[in-house]
Amino acid sequence: MDADWDELSRQLLPPPGGQSVPSVVTALAFDTTQELLWAGNGYGRVTSFYGNNLQKYTSFRAHPPSEGAVQQLLFNDKGVIALGGRGVHMAIRRGLPVWPHITADDMRDLRCMSFTSKATSEILVAGVQDTMFVIDTIKGEIVKRIPTTDHYIKMKKSRYICAATSDGRVHILDPVKFTVIHKWRAHSAFINDMDVQQDFVVTCGTSLKQPSSNYMLDPFVMVFDLKNMSTMPPIPFPPLAAYVRMHPRMLTTGIVASQGGQIHVVDLLNPNTSNVRQANVVGSIITGIEIAPSGEAIALADTDCNMHIWASPSKCHFVEVAQPTEWPDEEAPRPHVEWDDNTPLNSVGVPYYRETLMSALPNMLISDVGAPPPKISQNDLAHMTKASFGFYGPNHRQQRRNQAEDTRSVDKTSSAQRAPKFLSEKARDSAKSSLTEAVIEAQVDKAAHALGTVELESLKTDLPG
Amino acid sequence: KNLQYTDTLMSELFRELENGRLVRLLMKLGTINERQDHDNDPSWSENGERYTLKLFRDYVFHRVDEHGRPTFDVGHMLTCLNKLDAGSAERIRLTSRNNDTDFIITYAELKKQVNGAFAELMKHNRRP
Repeated sequence: MDADWDELSRQLLPPPGGQSVPSVVTALAFDTTQELLWAGNGYGRVTSFYGNNLQKYTSFRAHPPSEGAVQQLLFNDKGVIALGGRGVHMAIRRGLPVWPHITADDMRDLRCMSFTSKATSEILVAGVQDTMFVIDTIKGEIVKRIPTTDHYIKMKKSRYICAATSDGRVHILDPVKFTVIHKWRAHSAFINDMDVQQDFVVTCGTSLKQPSSNYMLDPFVMVFDLKNMSTMPPIPFPPLAAYVRMHPRMLTTGIVASQGGQIHVVDLLNPNTSNVRQANVVGSIITGIEIAPSGEAIALADTDCNMHIWASPSKCHFVEVAQPTEWPDEEAPRPHVEWDDNTPLNSVGVPYYRETLMSALPNMLISDVGAPPPKISQNDLAHMTKASFGFYGPNHRQQRRNQAEDTRSVDKTSSAQRAPKFLSEKARDSAKSSLTEAVIEAQVDKAAHALGTVELESLKTDLPG
Repeated sequence: KNLQYTDTLMSELFRELENGRLVRLLMKLGTINERQDHDNDPSWSENGERYTLKLFRDYVFHRVDEHGRPTFDVGHMLTCLNKLDAGSAERIRLTSRNNDTDFIITYAELKKQVNGAFAELMKHNRRP
């Protein structure tokens, strides 16, 4: 961390619908391709913020509040994947869902997810439950269910999927078959935070779960070497290590934070030299820390629902080569039109288009225009009360409300008025019925046969060659 | 004189064509929005893929000024509807009533959703 790093901005996560109490950040993540910071809250809402002054970008509900807090966020070039306790949601960065929300009965308490060997087109989802899910992020469907006896609370992927269990271990999973390759006991009770970068797994956690008192965090960071599959000496951190992130470009550098906001930048291979900073979190406790993919900014979340950006003011950027963020277009000034009764509606033009207009209706629609309106019977009115505007009362009829009725046929049968027939017509009618329709049909068939296939062929549409 | 008459007829014809187009557009929007059978459909809920159609209706027809008074701007409504009809690539911001949800969406995406929702209705539209 350079000498000029400082808190650049601080932003309150907006409160949930209409309430005045802000919500705590439950998931915090830097976008991997745009200058965006994403935060999830306890009501299933995901909000994004642009740039180092955290300008609000988009916000959407990823999960209904009944599905619990947003647990984790992952990014690919299409959009952002949000994990809730009972469902998985994927939306483009502008907020629109990519595929219908995924939820299932056996998704009970999901906690973490990770991409697999298939880059960003597949994720593995797990939690404090006995089933893991493999989800295709392109099609948006569950492709596989994997039974598991271990409950995972955190997942990160480098060459393997590293998964922290709920009892203080880290399992190294094969990213293809999802089998456990190695089990590492990092802390004896609980893992509070874990990060994986290249060859190193680093964890913060607690060693003794005391039922009477609060969790006591360990005064060190545990380190595991994925290349040699061996534990490395822990990094001492006297203020009690709560959160840890590996620097994405300085491969042996870690950033460790205490709950009180003390931040140390340490070299894993040379832990004695460290750079100490203090984040200004008066009266609150840090609940999360994230480092930008560029390594040029870190974000902190605290219990006062603030998000802090720490970076060097001169060169703060989140990603190396940021893709442009899509903002709403400036509304083009419209020509001023005086609207009166005679102003034609085509004073406002349709923009240039190539596809079928939306106003085109399918031509299979057949409408019956001019049928008499449904009758209101005296019986209907009997149940109703008269008011100045008409009658009102509950719907006692057999139909649904607004049910379409065939008023024509009702009319026809009731008023069975037919024009009287001439004697000759009557005679013809009786003759027809006696002549049996089968005979007529046979004749028609015969005629059709006589026409032959040649002429019928000509009725078919012309197709070239 | 005859040519002038033809011109008048043409302009009248275009006016009426425009009316027909707009009415068809509004009928489509009217039939899909706020149906009772949507009440329990997850795709119309706040995290569903059709939620934006509700927000678009508000954007076009329920505009207010800075004091919260309703505004009636034919030009705005027509411009929005025409852009939707053509499926323009222009991006607009749609915000929910409680200001919690903020989408940035193109007219082309909205058009696709309207057509999807309408096709779904047509699928159930059985005629004897």
